[in-house]
Amino acid sequence: MPNAELARELDPHRGYLLRVARLQLRDEALAEDVVQETLLAALSGSGFSGKSSLRTWLTGILKHKIVDAIRRKQREPTAASAFGDIESELDIEDFDAMFNERGSWDAKPADWGDPEAALNQRQFLDIMEVCLEKLPPNTARVFVMREVMELETDEICKELAINANNLWVILYRARMALRQCLEQNWFAGPGKPV
Amino acid sequence: MIRNALGHIISCRDASRLVSKREDAALSAWQRLLLDLHLSVCAACTRFERQVRFLRSVMQKYRQ
Repeated sequence: MPNAELARELDPHRGYLLRVARLQLRDEALAEDVVQETLLAALSGSGFSGKSSLRTWLTGILKHKIVDAIRRKQREPTAASAFGDIESELDIEDFDAMFNERGSWDAKPADWGDPEAALNQRQFLDIMEVCLEKLPPNTARVFVMREVMELETDEICKELAINANNLWVILYRARMALRQCLEQNWFAGPGKPV
Repeated sequence: MIRNALGHIISCRDASRLVSKREDAALSAWQRLLLDLHLSVCAACTRFERQVRFLRSVMQKYRQ
C-alpha cells in the first residue's frame, strides 16, 4: 500500500486539525467529518510538494473543507440556529464599557512584561484555547479564519456574507475579549509566571 | 502641550478600534496620522497595540 507511509505521517496532525475545525464549526460531529475529509483528500491527492510543511499543506485543505461545510450549513433552513445569529455579535457597546464617558480606558491594559516567553509554555496555549472557546461562535470563527488560516479579509467577507465594516467590528471584539481574557487568566491572574 | 493636545484629538476608545483595524486594512492617511499622534502620547494604547500584535504571534504558534 503506497500511502501507508503518508498515512503514518498525517496521523500526528489529526489533533491539531480537529482543534482548528472545532473552534470554527462548534460542532463536534461536523468537525470530525471535515477532518476526515481533509485527511482522505490528503491521502488521495498528489498535492504535497514538500515545499511547505505538511501542516501548512493540511491547513490549506482543511480551510476549503471548512468553507464548504459552512456553505452547506448556510443553505440549510436551520442554519441561523446552528451557527448563531451573526448580527448579535456585531454590537460593540459592551466593549465601550471598558472606556469612561470621555473615551479613556477605565482599566488600562496591564504591563505584560515579556509576553513572548509565554509562547513556549503548553499551559499558556491551553489558556489561549479556553479564551477562544469563550468567544461568541461567529467571533471565534472569524478570528481563527483570519489569524490561523490566514484568509484575507475580503475572502472572509465573501464566505460569511458580511461587509468589511462588520468584519472589523467582529475582529475588534475578538481582540478586546482575548486580550482581557489572557490578562485576567495569565498575565495578571493566578497563572502568572514568576 | 501641543503634542498632548494633538494626541487627544481621538479618544483611547477610537484609537483602540483603529489599532485593530490596522491589522486588517490600510487606514487612510488622516486616520494614520491621528492614530500615530495618539500613540505617541498614550502609553495605555501603545500597550494595547503591542498586545494585539502578540495575539497574532500566539495564533501563528498555534499553526505550528
